[in-house]
Amino acid sequence: MKTADQQFIKSSSFSGGTDTLISLTGISKRFPNGTLALDNLTLQIPEGQLISFIGLSGSGKSTLLRHINGLLRPTTGTVEVMGKQVSSASGRELKKVRREIGFVFQQFGLVGRTTCLENVLNGALGRLRGPRYGVRSYPKNLRSDAFDQLERVGLANQAYQRADTLSGGQMQRVAIARSLMQRPKIMLADEPVASLDPESSAQVLDILLRVSVEDHMTVVVTLHQVELALGWANRIVGLRDGKVVLDRDATTLKQDDVMDVYRRVDKTLDDGRDSISVAASRVQPMP
Amino acid sequence: MSGAHLEPLVKSRTALPRAPKNWHSWVLIAIFVGLIAALVWSWLFIEMTLSTVFGGFSDIWNLIQYMFPPMFDNFPEALRATIETIWMALIGTTMAVVLSVPLAFMAARNTSPHPVAMAISRGIISLARAIPTLVLAAIFASSVGIGPLPGILALGLHSIGMIGKLFAEAIENTEATSRDAVLSTGSGKWQTVLATIVPQIMPSSIGTSLYRLDINLRESAVLGFVGAGGVGFLIQSELRGLDYQRAISAVSVIFVAITLIELISVRLRASIIGDHLSAQPKQTSRSRARVARDQKKIYMAISSRQLTPPWTQERVLRATVGGTYLLMMIVALATIDMPLLSAYKLGDDLVLSIGRLFPPDFTTARSELIKGMLETTAIGFVATALGLLIAIPLGILTARNIIIRRLVVTLTRGMLLFIRGIPELIFAVIFVAAMGLGPVPGTLALAIATATFMAKLIGDALEEVQQAPRDGVSAVGASRLQEFISAVVPQALPNLVSQMLYMLDVNLRSSTVLGIVGGGGIGFLLISAIRGFETETVGAIVFLIFVIVYAIELLGSFVRRIVA
Repeated sequence: MKTADQQFIKSSSFSGGTDTLISLTGISKRFPNGTLALDNLTLQIPEGQLISFIGLSGSGKSTLLRHINGLLRPTTGTVEVMGKQVSSASGRELKKVRREIGFVFQQFGLVGRTTCLENVLNGALGRLRGPRYGVRSYPKNLRSDAFDQLERVGLANQAYQRADTLSGGQMQRVAIARSLMQRPKIMLADEPVASLDPESSAQVLDILLRVSVEDHMTVVVTLHQVELALGWANRIVGLRDGKVVLDRDATTLKQDDVMDVYRRVDKTLDDGRDSISVAASRVQPMP
Repeated sequence: MSGAHLEPLVKSRTALPRAPKNWHSWVLIAIFVGLIAALVWSWLFIEMTLSTVFGGFSDIWNLIQYMFPPMFDNFPEALRATIETIWMALIGTTMAVVLSVPLAFMAARNTSPHPVAMAISRGIISLARAIPTLVLAAIFASSVGIGPLPGILALGLHSIGMIGKLFAEAIENTEATSRDAVLSTGSGKWQTVLATIVPQIMPSSIGTSLYRLDINLRESAVLGFVGAGGVGFLIQSELRGLDYQRAISAVSVIFVAITLIELISVRLRASIIGDHLSAQPKQTSRSRARVARDQKKIYMAISSRQLTPPWTQERVLRATVGGTYLLMMIVALATIDMPLLSAYKLGDDLVLSIGRLFPPDFTTARSELIKGMLETTAIGFVATALGLLIAIPLGILTARNIIIRRLVVTLTRGMLLFIRGIPELIFAVIFVAAMGLGPVPGTLALAIATATFMAKLIGDALEEVQQAPRDGVSAVGASRLQEFISAVVPQALPNLVSQMLYMLDVNLRSSTVLGIVGGGGIGFLLISAIRGFETETVGAIVFLIFVIVYAIELLGSFVRRIVA
């Protein structure tokens, strides 16, 4: 799955910047129904890394991601992004911060009836005043910019195609192009490949890695496929029950180390049998 | 069926267990018995007998004979009045759409700015639906003066009830992921609504508006009966002058217009709403060529990095329809005979005319009010029952999978389509001319409208039944009639029962206005109160109509929930 080109990018990009871009300090999140989703968690993320949160569903990785752009507020603790306190920001400040943060959803969130170009242009709304409807309501330079973003994700040929005629992988790439249109400093991706086939998954992660290198952008991806995390991320953070149980450079990490994150949850996997392969088959629906 | 249900059958062969009855089935039985009792009472109340029905039809037949041959020398006048009718429908519908958009966004759960705004806008939408157009038109005609203006206002306000409701439902049915995704790029609330929700509701909203335009064209054809403009005034005055040959020519002009516009609107709706991927149109060589042309245009646009969308067929169609609409609106506004009232003056008149309805006076005309309400209800019941009786055989004749002879089906369908092109109040006004004032002509007119509408519904319901059970019953040696009763009827019945209740709902609403043309019921009292400037009595009647219509709507939705 890994290409030589991609290996090169990865090794050359690794170590990134040293400035801390996102700083989570002692955050806990208890939902109204009583679930403790994050448990006194502390994490620093520097500039220019592709970092992957891994863990079982319910481990808190999506909740953590939503704290970074202020979609959720922590019960206790502070979230600081680019020097701004997101955890206590007002609505207007939050909107400003969100403009700098791209968010990619598992279910893409494209407007199916409109063209890909228009969907990408929607990413510029935060910078524009007033409502827009239709491609021609956007300034020419932005339209040209949107074309460039589509080119970057390899879908310039689909610019005037309706978004609902695309395959899942193509839709996710358009969604990434829309986020790039924001010119973000940070890109958050919540299970971006969970509903994609292996080949499309690889394409999507390739693009995320490339933008992190080319634009020196911090990309945070939640994944539940360990193999993908090992293949693309610079750094891997394992979560279980709302706590960080693993935080290492991906290059020094072995599949077995990562499996710990999963194995200890299910006690039955510990006794006897070939536990790693059982765990692996559970967390990786891929062939 | 699960095995658990079968067990008792196997155990006791001597005494077969009865099918268990639950709460729902008792309610249904009670409603059924209630409906039959109401029908019998209604039949007696409006003094219908078989001889009045058949006598009535022979009177109508006599009148129809007077109508032929039609005299088309009034054609220019009829055409002018018909065009005015079309413009009224167009402006009225546009007004309703413009008013409905903000109301719908306030009423939809996912876009409403505040719960209070939601409750208020939902209240306005329900209120608008509950007061019939003709009633509004009659009230407005007495305050802003005779002509198309009161008609347009009435159409515009009443249509909010349907358009606003359907728009709000469409907004609530949009998917939320794209909205969250665009919102998370830092765009504003209304920017996000326009970028994500509006494209999703566009096709269904255009469909709704076109459908309402159809309905409003029929409605505006009869608004002239209360002096609110359009061809209705011409028809009524010719009937009153016993000028039947000219009346029929005016009816036929508006009939042609209604039918043509309905045909266009059906095709447009199909091409706008039917553009979803799953509904693949039939592949012909022409459609393939069209697709190929589109692809070429898209390819050219991309390869030259064109920054405006290419003119694909879909876009050309949209632009043509939009341009035609705008052009028609401009012509309509420029040519319609309407006083140029300032918005201030107009608002003042409307508030004044509504204010005069308060406080409603229920006492002055108390006994007539009660009689009128009872008569209105009775007409609704009898018309639905009579219509159903006529509709059943006609409906069977239109089902292609039941009737083998294609010619029979085609002729029946053609006839139904033909009759549906004439608004029911035009039937009513002709029947009143033939039989004199009273509930019987009104009931017969409603019954005919019901029959044509129900026959279509019955035909559609029958065509939807599955073939497999029919083959099964045929295979055991059943005759065609046995097969129809045992395999077709049970499949179509639930759908038909709910359609019948819907029809009753529609007819009770319609019968509130029949009296305006002399067809019996509360409408007669309404129009005489308006003409006599007894505004507080008008207020009482409007209130009662509102109560009936609202009660029926609640009952109807309750019963439909149980049946479904």
